[in-house]
Amino acid sequence: MNIQDNYLKNKENIFFSQNKDIKNHREKLINIFKNDKFDRKNNESLKNINLKNFIDFNYKYLIPEETSVINNNQENIYSILSVNGQCSSFKDEKIEITKILKEDYNDFSKNNTIEKNDHFVNLNSLFLNSGFKIVIKKNNNIKIKISNIVTDDDLTIFQKNSIICEEGSSLSLVDEYENKNNSTSNIFNVIKLEKNSQLNHFLIQDNSSNHNLITTSHSTCKKDSTYIQKVYNFSEGYVRNFHYSELIEINSEADLQGIFFLKDNNTSNNKTFVKHLAEDCKSNQVYKGILNDRSKATYFSNTYVDQVAQKTEGYQLSKGVLLSDNASYFSKPELKIYADDVKCSHGSTIGPIDENAIFYLRSRGMSKIAATKILISSFINEELSSIDDDQMSQIIQKKLVRYLSKVK
Amino acid sequence: MNSETLDTLDSYSKNKYKYGFVTDIDNEKPKKGLNEDTVKFISLKKNEPNWMLEWRLKAFSKWKKMKEPRWANLNFPEIDYQDIYYYSAPKGFEKKPKDLSEVDPKLIETYNKLGIPLEEQKVLAGVAVDVVFDSVSVATTYKGELEKLGIIFCSIGEAIQKHPDLIKKYLGSVIPAGDHSFSALNSAVFTDGSFVYIPEGVKCPMELSTYFRINAENTGQFERTLIIADKGSYVSYLEGCTAPKRDDNQLHAANVELIALEDAEIKYSTVQNWYPGDEDGKGGIYNFVTKRGLCAGKNSKISWTQVETGSAITWKYPSCILKGDNSIGEFYSVAITNNFQQADTGTKMTHIGKNTKSKIISKGISLGKSQNTYRGEVSFLRKADKARNYTQCDSLLVGNKCGAHTVPYIDSKNNTAVIEHEASTSKINEDQLYYCRQRGLSHEEAVSLIVNGFCKQVLQELPMEFAVEAQKLVSISLEGSVG
Repeated sequence: MNIQDNYLKNKENIFFSQNKDIKNHREKLINIFKNDKFDRKNNESLKNINLKNFIDFNYKYLIPEETSVINNNQENIYSILSVNGQCSSFKDEKIEITKILKEDYNDFSKNNTIEKNDHFVNLNSLFLNSGFKIVIKKNNNIKIKISNIVTDDDLTIFQKNSIICEEGSSLSLVDEYENKNNSTSNIFNVIKLEKNSQLNHFLIQDNSSNHNLITTSHSTCKKDSTYIQKVYNFSEGYVRNFHYSELIEINSEADLQGIFFLKDNNTSNNKTFVKHLAEDCKSNQVYKGILNDRSKATYFSNTYVDQVAQKTEGYQLSKGVLLSDNASYFSKPELKIYADDVKCSHGSTIGPIDENAIFYLRSRGMSKIAATKILISSFINEELSSIDDDQMSQIIQKKLVRYLSKVK
Repeated sequence: MNSETLDTLDSYSKNKYKYGFVTDIDNEKPKKGLNEDTVKFISLKKNEPNWMLEWRLKAFSKWKKMKEPRWANLNFPEIDYQDIYYYSAPKGFEKKPKDLSEVDPKLIETYNKLGIPLEEQKVLAGVAVDVVFDSVSVATTYKGELEKLGIIFCSIGEAIQKHPDLIKKYLGSVIPAGDHSFSALNSAVFTDGSFVYIPEGVKCPMELSTYFRINAENTGQFERTLIIADKGSYVSYLEGCTAPKRDDNQLHAANVELIALEDAEIKYSTVQNWYPGDEDGKGGIYNFVTKRGLCAGKNSKISWTQVETGSAITWKYPSCILKGDNSIGEFYSVAITNNFQQADTGTKMTHIGKNTKSKIISKGISLGKSQNTYRGEVSFLRKADKARNYTQCDSLLVGNKCGAHTVPYIDSKNNTAVIEHEASTSKINEDQLYYCRQRGLSHEEAVSLIVNGFCKQVLQELPMEFAVEAQKLVSISLEGSVG
């Protein structure tokens, strides 16, 4: 069923469908879809995507029976079970979890740069059926782990989360996506960092081949705040990771990292976009990809430096390793700079594993496969060794070993 | 100038009118606007054979269905194609200054700084002198030498008459008429340009330049250049001139095609210094150029070097299609934008053959309120085993109202190919500036020295005489906007 019909038929099941303002906005979005028709040629963010899955789908949503928030007060650790994108409400002196509200809709749906180019975010706004809001109260230091679970086959989850870190707070957030059923999740995280706050955001993606995952995030950083994002994509199904970051006040920082491991016919689309809108801000974008078999990946990175954003430091790096003849990697590291006192650079490499390095290891008695595996591990070692959390590190190591076992 | 030369000149300028059609047009006012008749008119005036006219008309019908590309980071108003003369007016038709005193003194000042001889200045400023002085004799001697080697170097119009086989085979083979709207437009209405053919095994002993071509005094706004280097040959070609050029034509859409067969090498150098518009961004040339080289044979090599300082808008991507195994593509570029200039330039390296190599060095300098964009694509196709690319693009920002942008597209479909890309953007290093100032250089001199150093990697790729002039040109482009 196409987008328009889907929308008209399921209007009543969608969040905030009674609200006039939101309704009007959605009508506008419908029009964009009508006119644009997913123009692959002029919208490069659609490259390599099997669009049929996302335009022509059967809308189906189930309200979950059971969700939970468990907290371990002693260690400031909270575990959230998010089922079909929903989560039960919870409140204590440190955090507050609620459903998303009408007021939040405008906050993240009407972002101009995204609206114009990112159809998947528009789809999310159009069919919004789940999501929650987490507020970390002032000066707290906590850890949250979210397990994202989809209960049934053929579900289409359109989820919007809002994460707000109040002044002086610090949050370590782990988002886990491990789904085995044939469904699609379209998740948009809107993140706000108040003065002097910090968020370490880990996304671990490990879905089976029939699960499509689309994650988008948009972060805004105020004075002295830091947003760090690390994405580990081990999924066998399609994954799209698009991350937008805006540095709106002085001395804020955004660090977006990602590693993806692809094999078989899998595809992954990645994008990072950092906007420097204030002085003395720093950004860093690093994406590394390992591509085997017939896999395909794209990575777009963009650093925008506004005229007022003097003393900016912005770095980008993208590296791809192609293990097979049929793999392909497209990268477009873009810089747009309107201020003069800046240090900005980007680097990009794509190639095979270094033959000399393989030769060195083989000459010391290692088999070719063992040598390849060692070199792949070393390729991403820098990122993996930077994880402070032992538990996390072990989880990722395990997944890496699993991926490497299939490399021939 | 001695009297003998003057005589030669005199006789030459008289002789010129022997060639029938030039006098004919004198009576006929070229009409504005573009339609099938314009294309037919041009073809007729150039006395072209039928197949050429058909080729043009085909291109024209393609153009009618096309829209001009708008993806570049450029801001320009809608181009009114009906408000343009497509057949440049013949001599005497335009209003020309009678002597140098009528020419804009600013222009003269720049000529003097570049060290251009007075007589040459007249020609460049478009004073009503019909021939290029010293180069006439130079050209005739050179021409004889080139003929001895079997090198064909003439205008494209002449080539259509005399070498139809080569034209039929190669024209449009690298840039198809339907590639995009400017290539279609150029294919339909091109009036002038150069044709070069280097026979098998010949190394062209001198740098070929439009400047030495006898009938080059009127390089049109829709230029078409075709260079073919046959097996094992070598040629170095210079286009343009370091001196600033005023031109009434707002729109320039040139097409340049290079073809290098087995073991051949083509080196193409450009210095572009068209009128960039005034300090307020009024006027100036719109330069939409398509340049593409095909390394058709094994071990062939094409090298582009460009220094872009002029034009209000530059839209230019000299590219290489590396089809032959072991072929090499190179691109060296300096682009300087000042005031309200906009440049979106770069290259495209398409690796098709095995062991192909490419190297891109691009230096962008933005001053004033200008926008400077590097846009480059490197792609390795499935069969490009062991292909290699190295890209470096650096931008320098002078002042806080300009912009520098880098948009590289990197695509690899082969797992033995290696791509490396690096880019940096920064302002002029304070320490370097301080060091120079300490040694007694003025701020402007210091900036000019540092910028020249920044561009050195590219400037040294230019042929000797050109390189010296280009260095001066870089300094002049910076004048008045630093400090």
